[in-house]
Amino acid sequence: MAKTEKYSVVGQRVQRVEGFDKVTGESKFIADIQLPGTLIGRVLRSPYPHARIHRIDTSKAAKLSGVRAVVTAEDTIKRPWGAFFADQYILSVGKTRYVGEEVAAVAAIDPDIAEEAIDLIEVDWEPLPGVFDAEEAMKDGAPLVHEDKPNNIAMQMDLERGNIAQAFAESDVIVEDTFTSMPQWHCSIETIGSVAEYSTSGKYTIYMNTQTLFNARYRIATALGVPESNVRIIQSAVGGGFGGKSCDDNNALVAAVLAKKAGKPVKLINSREEEFLAGCRPRVFMKINVRLGFKKNGRIRAKHIKVIADNGAYSAKAPAITGVAAMRHDTCYKYTDVKTEALLVYTNKIPTGAFRGFGNPSAEWAVEQAIDLGAHELGIDPIEIARINAAETGYVSPHGNRVTSCELKQCLDMAERMIEWKAKRAAKRPNTGLGLACTVHVSGKRHFGDYDGSSATIKINEDGKALILSGEGECGQGVHTAMCQIAAEELGVAIEDVEISRADTDLTTFCLGAFASRLTYVSGNAVKNAATNVKEQLFEQAAEMLEANPQDLMSRDGKIFVQGAEGKSLTVSDVARARLFRHNGAPIVGSGSFDADSVLPDSTRFGNESGAYNYGVQAAEVHVDPDTGQVKILNFVIASDCGTVIYPLGAEGQVEGGLAQGIGYALTEGLQIDEGKPINPNFSDYRIPSMRDMPPLQHAFADSYEPTGPFGAKGLGELNMDPTAAVINNAIFEAVGVRVKTLPITPEKILRALKEKPREK
Amino acid sequence: MKRSLILNVNGEEHEVEIEPNRLLLQVLRDTLGLTGTKEGCSIGVCGACSVIIDGRLVSSCLTLAAGCAGKKIETIEGLAKDGKLHPLQQAFIEYGGFQCGICTPGQIMAAKALLDENPKPSEEEVKEWMSGNLCRCTGYYKILDSVMAVVNGKTDPNYTFRKRETTAKIQSLDVYKPVAKTS
Repeated sequence: MAKTEKYSVVGQRVQRVEGFDKVTGESKFIADIQLPGTLIGRVLRSPYPHARIHRIDTSKAAKLSGVRAVVTAEDTIKRPWGAFFADQYILSVGKTRYVGEEVAAVAAIDPDIAEEAIDLIEVDWEPLPGVFDAEEAMKDGAPLVHEDKPNNIAMQMDLERGNIAQAFAESDVIVEDTFTSMPQWHCSIETIGSVAEYSTSGKYTIYMNTQTLFNARYRIATALGVPESNVRIIQSAVGGGFGGKSCDDNNALVAAVLAKKAGKPVKLINSREEEFLAGCRPRVFMKINVRLGFKKNGRIRAKHIKVIADNGAYSAKAPAITGVAAMRHDTCYKYTDVKTEALLVYTNKIPTGAFRGFGNPSAEWAVEQAIDLGAHELGIDPIEIARINAAETGYVSPHGNRVTSCELKQCLDMAERMIEWKAKRAAKRPNTGLGLACTVHVSGKRHFGDYDGSSATIKINEDGKALILSGEGECGQGVHTAMCQIAAEELGVAIEDVEISRADTDLTTFCLGAFASRLTYVSGNAVKNAATNVKEQLFEQAAEMLEANPQDLMSRDGKIFVQGAEGKSLTVSDVARARLFRHNGAPIVGSGSFDADSVLPDSTRFGNESGAYNYGVQAAEVHVDPDTGQVKILNFVIASDCGTVIYPLGAEGQVEGGLAQGIGYALTEGLQIDEGKPINPNFSDYRIPSMRDMPPLQHAFADSYEPTGPFGAKGLGELNMDPTAAVINNAIFEAVGVRVKTLPITPEKILRALKEKPREK
Repeated sequence: MKRSLILNVNGEEHEVEIEPNRLLLQVLRDTLGLTGTKEGCSIGVCGACSVIIDGRLVSSCLTLAAGCAGKKIETIEGLAKDGKLHPLQQAFIEYGGFQCGICTPGQIMAAKALLDENPKPSEEEVKEWMSGNLCRCTGYYKILDSVMAVVNGKTDPNYTFRKRETTAKIQSLDVYKPVAKTS
């Protein structure tokens, strides 16, 4: 049970620690960082989805006055790199594989000259036939995106737990359908950018707006062919991440190569069009076939899922994402027998990658609709089907995921109450319907080697304030505030007396960064451990000063005293100064680490991917206009189980922001690609939700406590992006009896489905 | 060919020498160092570059700087006076009206333009007006709450901000004095 009353900082409605800088415009985002002598970088991108490069002539560009460097693959070591498969180069080597791929780049004294120089680079292209559809790409004889990948298959998985044939044989009702998801772009209002400099001694210093600094350093060092210590990544303020700024793209690498050749700092910021073409790696688009077997009483007996995922031209994190789509949802309900088959296929399109949800939104779009199909087939209320099958604390999924806290059933009760599920279903109005879906997500993911941990350092300044040094990825979500709260709570000081640095790979210890909803849980634990360590040092010193035993001391409101003798107390500043200003003095500085108690999945993908699992339920009431196909969301409710809520303003913001992206994914977003060429790479044709698109919303957090979390907390960031599209489509089905099976659910598709409906009968 | 002109930004006059094709966004950021105004989409859709010119809300990414001579330009940098935040700035902190903060200057300028003209808009009017400012983080609920808090006078008059203390509690020299035992 989350008893936040017993905490003085955790769970309190504190303000964002960097709030002042945000509302005054003083936060320094990547475009705001200006080093003396900085040159402007521009990139020549492939206009073809697939083409051989016979020759690149940069001589005219290099001669243009004001140009300081022109680079091609010849200026790199041509070593391929990538998060899981090394399959992409900094600049095209021999051929290009998608429209927008980086071919050459220039650095010049101003943007106009840089752009003119780009136009002066001459490339001798030989366009090649491309593949633009995953199923076409697997056919024999299809053009190969990578010559060493037969049938364009990047990854294949096929696994079975239990006995799937028997489980289907024992099922009373079997439903099956195929659902297609769409690529979705992060659309952070700040695009990816970097400012790189290179010193003659051999060190690269790169300011980046990345959400994963140490992963970025590792990949950049690999691609540049230098040791990690030769690369320093300093994080600017980050204007939205959502997985898109996790260094799977070439922006920082191109800037680094330019900076080395020019001998000057180079600023390279993606334009909005470049961001769509080749910046953040959009959500992997998938075609998912789901077959579910149910017993008459509503219990799911068997699940068979087949995923065909479009990888695009390079892999980034798509292999792990495809695995999540195929398996993660098996932690949501109590499954016994499951079979999962997945194929990840190269095409000549933008490389796909990590976006909030990491495969889960595509999977939940399909599986949560299949559950709804089952409910209708069985004639059981969908909310009861969810209740009958919902995971509980202690559940172990068929793939080994161990659930140490789960309030999914409580979330179902909350959602049911908030949307008045029973009453509204009983009084069904024409063209209006209710839909719901359950969701599960992780709090960290063990897949970068056998480590899913974090570390932090806390030092006490002479004035008694604590400074957290963390290399984790504050990317706008507000985790720094949660970390300050955790440290303040543990140290027994006010939130105002804790500050936190931005991440810098030279100054902060190794951290994996922001992904997999891991930070509050994983880095929160590391910060808590660091604070415990600092507190021990403070108490040791204070005990000497108070002539007491360290075990008898406690701290509250910034004062340290013997329990029961609060009248005689020391301030943190008194203690820190006394420890420092004396013979053999030392500053008070403590460190803490944490690695989740999860298990790296084995060769059969059996393991326990995360230290904790978060759950939730969303429900919607929609109205569909049968004449126009327009969907209006009348009400939306969300119940989330993220354990203890550490930072309420931030947690609420995660829920609300996740919903907005989920609504965009469901109804309006989808990059249109024609023969490999994106045709709507801008904010007027690729429409993300605005304020007037948001429905009335009620949301609440379950009373929950995760035993392995800091003060009982677990992850939350991605949870409420995951199920939204299925929720809306389940409600549309309830309203008008048709189901659009490809995202986004546009009015045109609904109208078409309504027209076809009578013929089906 | 560069030309010289005077831009009045936040009540201060700046003489700038610029090419006639320079956008106000570029001149504010690159020439005047006022980087609080942000570039988001470059085509006037997202509102991150919103500024107020002679009382009207405009996208500075679509506005030629040369056309702004003699006009009053307001940017986010002009809102806080003597370290005291504008009520909208306070409300955005108090009600959590931002996450990453990149769109926040534009959101606040847009809201200011509305409230300067109509201090008591309805919630529907605020939603309609603010729909020209995209945000990818918040889902807009807390932005709406922040603006409505100002409209309805719901900001806390005693709200204290997380801002550094400007006067040290401890005199700097005292730091080095040994701490006496308290017993």
